[in-house]
Amino acid sequence: MTEHRFVLLMLLPAALFLSLLVAYPVALLAYNSFFDVKLIDPASRIWVGLANYADALTSKRLLESAIRTLNYSAFALFFELVFGFGAALLFAAIANQSHLHRTVFALPLMISPIVAGLLWRFLLVGNIGILNHGLAALGIIPNPGAIKWLSDTDIVIYSVAVADIWLTTSFVALVSYAGLTNIPKDLFEAARIDGANAAERLWHVTLPMMRPVIAVIVIVRGIDALKTFDLIWIQTQGGPRQASEVLSMNIYQRMVRYGDLGQASATATLFLVFMMILAGLAYWKIWRPSHG
Amino acid sequence: MDDRASLDFGKVVINAVAGLLVLSYALPYVYLVSTSLKPAADVQQIPPSFFPNRVSFENFGTVIATAGLPEAFLNSTIVAILTTLLSLLIAVPAAYVSVLYRRRITILFLLFALVTRMVPAVSLGVPLFQIMKMLGLLDTTVGLVLAHTSTAVPLALLLMAAFFEGVPKELEEAARIDGCTRFGAFIRIVLPLMPSGLAITALFSFIASWNEFLFALLLTSQKAKTAPILIAEFNSVYGLAWGPMTAAAVLYSLPVILVTLVLQKQIIGGLTFGAVKG
Repeated sequence: MTEHRFVLLMLLPAALFLSLLVAYPVALLAYNSFFDVKLIDPASRIWVGLANYADALTSKRLLESAIRTLNYSAFALFFELVFGFGAALLFAAIANQSHLHRTVFALPLMISPIVAGLLWRFLLVGNIGILNHGLAALGIIPNPGAIKWLSDTDIVIYSVAVADIWLTTSFVALVSYAGLTNIPKDLFEAARIDGANAAERLWHVTLPMMRPVIAVIVIVRGIDALKTFDLIWIQTQGGPRQASEVLSMNIYQRMVRYGDLGQASATATLFLVFMMILAGLAYWKIWRPSHG
Repeated sequence: MDDRASLDFGKVVINAVAGLLVLSYALPYVYLVSTSLKPAADVQQIPPSFFPNRVSFENFGTVIATAGLPEAFLNSTIVAILTTLLSLLIAVPAAYVSVLYRRRITILFLLFALVTRMVPAVSLGVPLFQIMKMLGLLDTTVGLVLAHTSTAVPLALLLMAAFFEGVPKELEEAARIDGCTRFGAFIRIVLPLMPSGLAITALFSFIASWNEFLFALLLTSQKAKTAPILIAEFNSVYGLAWGPMTAAAVLYSLPVILVTLVLQKQIIGGLTFGAVKG
């Protein structure tokens, strides 16, 4: 067998599979977005051109859920970075004694978002949520009902992010720790000899050396956060009154609750295009320079 | 001496802070387990107690007796195993040639796999629903396995490609000189050298499927329902049955945590590959 034919043959199953189950569905998604087509009867469809897109782009609910998705992602990502990177710095400071610490931090790595969401709903829920009882016992809030984490429409989108922050801080901490241990020790020695204090070493040595690692974390975690569905779904199903409805959920509701395949497809296509542009930008602007 | 003392003091403070941090990080999950071990009536107690007054397996009994729950766990296991086998079967050969026979087409191919990792699940789920309906595969194990495999294949491809990076091309060439075919060198020489790479890739595919929610929510309704869907229904239907719910969440997550405990080094390695590659 020629070398070329061998390569093609080995690629074939994966190429075929990805074409049928990723490329074809995405094409179908884009195709459906130009039709008035209902979920119960996808066979009967009326060409509507860009009407679904026009509807989507002028929908107040969609705009709100898009802004909410960005707020949610920025909020979650910020705290994941602060806590995760902070934890990694602490672990690095006690280097050889941090094994147990890191083991505990590794445990949530592979837990399902469903479990994290359920767990935090249980901690935050009205009446029996232990967090408020704890805060009240410490005198931080006047009574256990003072903060309605999951039913106050003003704060719910940030409350549901807490589960995400809890779940993903472990990933950020351990990847950052791996990055920290890869920084050559003599860089710190040299800085120390030059008279740099701990804060200056962090600012002038650690952070610049960690830039590629942080960039990767921001890209990977940012994309994940923008796509979030299950973690919020299990806590609030997008409620109360859509106050925690993110983009994925908006598309899901358009399709399942309202049965509007055309509208759902248009919105999902816009979402997909947005994610591709974002990923492309992230790749060109942040990732590539650090590799070249 | 003063300097030394302040250094030691600093160490003590850092250790204390790190200890507290780790403790508070673990606390939420410990509370979940502790709640699942309370007698059902005590779970709703106000104010809640952190530890059970008395350990009881009542909640676990309730959960296991819940209609559909054993079946849902069985479905989750079967779907995850089939997804793992199918994605390895498809992804490993492609990853092999992508690394050991690098050329324009394989680079484009890996890029394609990378791009598919960016597709939001919901954008894939919407058309997959229509396709599965057309094929009569809604609410079937096969349908869900295919959907899960569509996300597991790119993951497995990128992970295996990272593992194949460690294989010298000379090894394959030597095997060929000794009379192996290209395919023989792949199956008999290179693959047996990477049991841990295969195992980690299998583990990641398995857990990706075990944890997956949105496809299962869209594509199953009764027969093929998986554990997370049942837990979510528990959550909305029996909104106040926290005792059994915590027990179900523990049953669903504890195996994953134990695996992570045993294989943490390899898992962190795999996640870092994943982070760097996609």
